[in-house]
Amino acid sequence: MKTLSLDALKILDLADESASYCSRLLADMGATVTKLEHPSGDPSRKFGPFYRSARGEEKSLFFQHHHQGKRGITLNLRRKQGRDIFRRLVQSQQVVIETFPPGYLDKIGLGFKALSQINPQLIMVSVTGFGQGGECGGHKSCDLVAAATGGQVYVSGSPKTPPLQPFGGQAYYIASLYAAIAVLLAVRKAAQENKGAQVDISLQEAAATTLDHVLTRYFSRKTVSTRQGNRHWSDVFGVVPAQDGHLLLSPFIAWPTVVEWLAADGGQKDLGGAAWDRPEYRAALAGHVYQVMAAWSENHPKNELFQTAQLMRLPWAPVFAPGEVAQSPQLKARGFLNAGGPDKRSRGLKTPGLAAPSGKSRAAKAPELGQDNLAVYHKELGLSLKEMARLKKMKVI
Amino acid sequence: MLAGPFCTRLLADFGAEVIKVQCRKTATGAEDNLTPQFNAWNRNKRGVTLDLSFPEARELARRLVVISDVVVENFSPRVMENWGLAYPALRRIKPEIIMVSISAMGRTGPWRDYVAYAPTIHALAGLTHLTSFGPEEPLGPGFPLADVAGGLFAALGTLAALQQREADGKGRHLDLSVYESVCSLLGPSLLHAAADQAPLPPAGNRPTVAPAAPHGVYRCRERDRWCAIAVRTNEQWRAFCQTLGQPAWCGQRKFATLAARMKHSAELDGLVEKWTRRRSPQRVAALLQEAGIPAGVVQDAADLANDPQLKAHGFWDEVSHPALGKMVCDRQPMRFVGEAPGPLKAAPLLGEANEYVFKKLLGLSSSQYSRYRRMGVIA
Repeated sequence: MKTLSLDALKILDLADESASYCSRLLADMGATVTKLEHPSGDPSRKFGPFYRSARGEEKSLFFQHHHQGKRGITLNLRRKQGRDIFRRLVQSQQVVIETFPPGYLDKIGLGFKALSQINPQLIMVSVTGFGQGGECGGHKSCDLVAAATGGQVYVSGSPKTPPLQPFGGQAYYIASLYAAIAVLLAVRKAAQENKGAQVDISLQEAAATTLDHVLTRYFSRKTVSTRQGNRHWSDVFGVVPAQDGHLLLSPFIAWPTVVEWLAADGGQKDLGGAAWDRPEYRAALAGHVYQVMAAWSENHPKNELFQTAQLMRLPWAPVFAPGEVAQSPQLKARGFLNAGGPDKRSRGLKTPGLAAPSGKSRAAKAPELGQDNLAVYHKELGLSLKEMARLKKMKVI
Repeated sequence: MLAGPFCTRLLADFGAEVIKVQCRKTATGAEDNLTPQFNAWNRNKRGVTLDLSFPEARELARRLVVISDVVVENFSPRVMENWGLAYPALRRIKPEIIMVSISAMGRTGPWRDYVAYAPTIHALAGLTHLTSFGPEEPLGPGFPLADVAGGLFAALGTLAALQQREADGKGRHLDLSVYESVCSLLGPSLLHAAADQAPLPPAGNRPTVAPAAPHGVYRCRERDRWCAIAVRTNEQWRAFCQTLGQPAWCGQRKFATLAARMKHSAELDGLVEKWTRRRSPQRVAALLQEAGIPAGVVQDAADLANDPQLKAHGFWDEVSHPALGKMVCDRQPMRFVGEAPGPLKAAPLLGEANEYVFKKLLGLSSSQYSRYRRMGVIA
């Protein structure tokens, strides 16, 4: 079977906010993604942060980021006619992305087995809190619970504070990246084996794959990593105050260069001297080293230290708030923040490493509710306008 | 930056033959083959050694490119050019080659030469500031999200380029910025700032995606043991109150709706913690899950290693490393239903596949191979 070109891929997106970013990525690479919403609208249209226009309209930037480049249709899967229409849609689509509780789609006759009868090449990627099976298969999750059960929360935060969640639903993004990768792996496999597949992804596991040293230190030495605030677990990195904010730095990478710099500024205190040449000595006195660094750095603006450090190839950076990130000359030069919108409301971010094969960039726009009902139901499925009106009245679409 | 190894590890796990080219001189620290970390990041790969300061080694590298589909690298553009291994040169010898260049900032722009590790990227992308209880003490995540995010975007881009090449026969050069990868995962906040909206504060453990209250991490009975709880709907709130035995405070007007609970979340959190403090986190999670409420233990490494769900779902596997012995590894989270996951093989020893790659794949004679070894070309 010939492998499909990316812009011939057709995807049905049934995912909630826990994996909606997956098919945004697929749209970025040229696939035609159709997002299904209940006629009353996806709840994530009400998730902040919001863009508030001068006229008082409110648009969810979460929804914008997760759904740009997709088509939008309304369909009520709780109604039998809705499910019948879904079965018709599946005939011409290659992929379904879903996040329903395990067993729900089977219960309503739209599970993988049932849909494979209609379309034997179909790929279904299922993202849930804990996976399809096991004792916790049916347990409820969300980004906080995934991050907590997946080990991210325990190692974040400071010894003086409670454990801390990563900002912004990171477990959802990581799982969505895995899901998009799974789609491409499955499409390749389907072409080779001439049949579809279901892929099962757990949010807990997705979170747990980001832990790196937390796992290797445990499995090699039974060390249980604990939260260290903004200090790297190895003490190699830490955050110090600057005159106008904070700076992430490493005193220990290129130690002689760092000490020389401090000395030139009169800030080295007792850090010169042969004893400090030994890494074990420096490691044992890391706390003191950071105090000396802080006493020096708090007299300098963070951007000045950043630019000077990077000239000396030191991996230092200012701690930016989003407003400062948006001003980054690097992101501006690379057109990252553009992309495609005529005004501030319809901006999108350019996804790293992906470009639609046809070279056409998709509109950086998330669909309005039911925006493509006509295109999909009337033009593609052949429903008459009268039929569509009737279904709308019955709240099926 | 570990985004490169993370990318190729994923491809290796799903059946790609990945040849990791190392140099004996630089196989230290994170590149030391005999560390548990190296094993975790480089399992399932083959390892060869080349000293690219030799022209003969660079010629061998070019011959490797000719028999490969993809080249993944994270050197500076200048280094690759000096070695004659930049994309224009590789394209001449193999027009359909897919080159994936991973760098901290991308190959262009005023910061293209900047040096960064994961904490650097987190600070620049806004993640350190936002993942905090307040702006006065930036904390950031205690794990290297940047390395995984960069690796995943790189793997996704690689697979997309491969797919597209099968359809149109063309090679491609991907320019992957780890900085942009993390910024993408903070998309809504960045779009918000770019549209000049009022700054979003660090959220602590308050909701950052869907509204919820109670929402947070609550202290339990044992020392430093916590349970994460998120009550997202009024229906869940009613079940929550029921599970707690309908304490009087549950019925107060100020907690009656989600909006009201969010407004009074600090007070609400204090009341919830009075209940969780008397119980183990496992008990709290079990009671709430039974009532249909998202809840889970804040797990540490030991909890993860012994987690029955991770075990049942097949997250853990074991490899036999010739020097390190048996090492537990995590599997890829994408499970093809009805199929056993692919085998995990330990990371290679330094130069382990030199004979296989240079003699068998490239066809070097025994005497040519020995000569290169003596010279230090194949280090």
